[in-house]
Amino acid sequence: MDFSLTREQEMFRDTVFRYARNEVSPLCEEADLKGEFSFDIWRKLGEFGILGLPLPESLGGSGADILTCCLAGEALGHGGVDGGSVLAWGAHTYLCAHNILDFGTEEQKRKYVPKLATGEWIGCMGLTEPGSGSDAASLRTTAVKKGGGYVLNGSKTFITNAPVSDVFVVFANVDHSRRHEGITAFIIEKGTPGLSTGKPFHKLGCRSSATSEVFLEDCEVPGENVLGGEGKGWFIALNGVEWDRCTLLSPLLGAALCNLDLCARYANEREQFGRPIRAFQAVQHRIADIKIFIEACRLAVYRVASAKDRGQMLNPLSAAVSKVYAGDRGFEMASEAVQIFGGYGFMHEYPVERNFRDAKLAAIGGGTSDIMRMIVSRIMLM
Amino acid sequence: MDFQFSPEETKLQQDAAAFCLREIAPGTQVLDGCLPEAACALVRENLKALGAEGLLDTGRAGSGPDMVRHYIAGEEIAKACPATFLSARASVFLCAGAIDLFGTEEQKARYLPSLLKGETVGALAYSEDQAGTDLGGIKTRAVKVGDTWLVSGTKNLVVNAPIADVLLVLALCGEGPENGAMGLFIVEKHAEGLSIGKGAETLGLRGLPMAPLVMDGCVTQGLLGDAGGRGFSQAETLLSLGTVGITALCVGIGTACMELATGHARSRTAFGRRIGLFQDVGFKLADMFAYNDLGRMLGLRAAWGMNQGEPEAPVMGASAKLFASEGAMKIVNWGMQIFAGHGYLSGSGIEKLFRDAKFGEICEGTSEMQRSLIAAAELDRWVRA
Repeated sequence: MDFSLTREQEMFRDTVFRYARNEVSPLCEEADLKGEFSFDIWRKLGEFGILGLPLPESLGGSGADILTCCLAGEALGHGGVDGGSVLAWGAHTYLCAHNILDFGTEEQKRKYVPKLATGEWIGCMGLTEPGSGSDAASLRTTAVKKGGGYVLNGSKTFITNAPVSDVFVVFANVDHSRRHEGITAFIIEKGTPGLSTGKPFHKLGCRSSATSEVFLEDCEVPGENVLGGEGKGWFIALNGVEWDRCTLLSPLLGAALCNLDLCARYANEREQFGRPIRAFQAVQHRIADIKIFIEACRLAVYRVASAKDRGQMLNPLSAAVSKVYAGDRGFEMASEAVQIFGGYGFMHEYPVERNFRDAKLAAIGGGTSDIMRMIVSRIMLM
Repeated sequence: MDFQFSPEETKLQQDAAAFCLREIAPGTQVLDGCLPEAACALVRENLKALGAEGLLDTGRAGSGPDMVRHYIAGEEIAKACPATFLSARASVFLCAGAIDLFGTEEQKARYLPSLLKGETVGALAYSEDQAGTDLGGIKTRAVKVGDTWLVSGTKNLVVNAPIADVLLVLALCGEGPENGAMGLFIVEKHAEGLSIGKGAETLGLRGLPMAPLVMDGCVTQGLLGDAGGRGFSQAETLLSLGTVGITALCVGIGTACMELATGHARSRTAFGRRIGLFQDVGFKLADMFAYNDLGRMLGLRAAWGMNQGEPEAPVMGASAKLFASEGAMKIVNWGMQIFAGHGYLSGSGIEKLFRDAKFGEICEGTSEMQRSLIAAAELDRWVRA
């Protein structure tokens, strides 16, 4: 066992943290308040190489390993970058670009990855449908062969980045009788006839990511845009889960660190009854609980990342623990941070309020806490 | 970063698990129901068996104990029998560990070999009627008469007191302005002026040898080490490193409980299906798994940090102990709920674990104390200079 980071890893994390705090986070409050995707934030992330972090240098990325991606996520959250911006990053870099990298043909990689790596193009992934969330394998979108291509019909919902995307990775079934073995992934470009997106949703949290429905109405997709081969879509969707359990959770860990700093500082400064509120044990103990959450969450998330870097198969138990703990306990701890700030914590201008709203998503998106417990209990009962 | 055990650590874990399942676990329920004398004999036998197997001496890392190996072996012993683990830990980690860290070469040669083999038993006596978590409040005092230190005072809740061959006693030893200075004093059994009180009956961990020490001019073998005045910081060091062992205790109890509950959820049927398939049961199992898994990781993380001499290791240890001890209480409560009426019966296994688990939250620095310590470390980072 070795829990240490290398000197380079620490320096990288600290550099991202400073950049996030000084260059990016000042833009986040407004984006969150408006509930709009911020191209300014997007450009900032792109300029720093964040958007292409795990993509190979030969295709315009930085070639970082997964642990390094988690360090970046942690540093962004810690530096005060809002949940919406890091979610947009996650959907773009991991679920769209990296899936094309992992499963695409040489031509697909050359065509899409470099522009996604810089952020010039924005990407998204469409799996969830109005009638299929946790039960993703029962998706109803169909792909019917026509000539050398396919005609897609159906609709997707809750698709992060859809309203601003240039590249869509969309899942459809070529033969519903084959159930999940018929699921196929397609790369669809913006402007393709029959592809449209809905009005962005207003959301509880992660408000600066643009989220909407995606409609496919007789949308014709050429055969060369199949990603990973016909019937291989379910495997690609599951691959996304691996990213979800580490890199996509790391910003939440970072947001908890951000909250811890804010709370510890506030508890020293704020005075009531003639003494700083840090003197009250109820305040102290909330701070201790947030700290413990951070340490446990970091271990859970980095364990998944470290195993993935070593090329090990995803351990479904480790992955589920990571997700359920970050999601459920993370939300409770974000609530405790608001409590420490009292009335100020309820106000928009304090980041603890935003972190509280943003934290809820981890128990819902990419597999709910209930699904995580179902996975763990089924394995235990085998 | 690497979360995997080395091959040696994996082997230790597997060997410890197999040995404890075969040799220690079968006696755990017996120990719970034993009269004190029989319990002492059984625990002594267990320590000898563990010592002969090499599971008490988990080696050193640098100048201190190898905390990672201590955790790994400890969790397996605790899973098999929590009381046996606490006795072994008091003897080998708290007593022998202190001698190894702070003792003179002569003291090490005299006591360590037989303690590490489980042939003799050690104890550490620090808490008193009015001083537990607040260690600074002890009243026991040592005075030097000629070449001999004599100790007077009463220690309570001393694990292993009824079976110990050698005890370390924390006592005030300063004079004048150094009134608060403390030392750890070595006391051997049958020492003049030492009497072992009667152990109280306990909620859980029954069979664990534990009793008060009453010392009246008790003749000691002198100070541990060759300088006085360091007893308080020595005790603090031991208790700080000790958070890893209590984490192992709690995860061991939690894992034993989880395995019992999982077995029951598989075999018990209600309304025509295995009860594990009801989400109210299955999700409790999942939460048990998560608490044990995270508690174990925190324990190993703290242990690793201690081996490295990491400055943050005491906070990591406190976090691990707090998380795992509160986790164990949740787990035994869920376990009891899954077993329902069957779990409430003596002899169910769950009933014993339910009682045993509480110890973690109240021993060696209560949860309240751990939270204060963790919070202070965070809050002090922001104090304006």
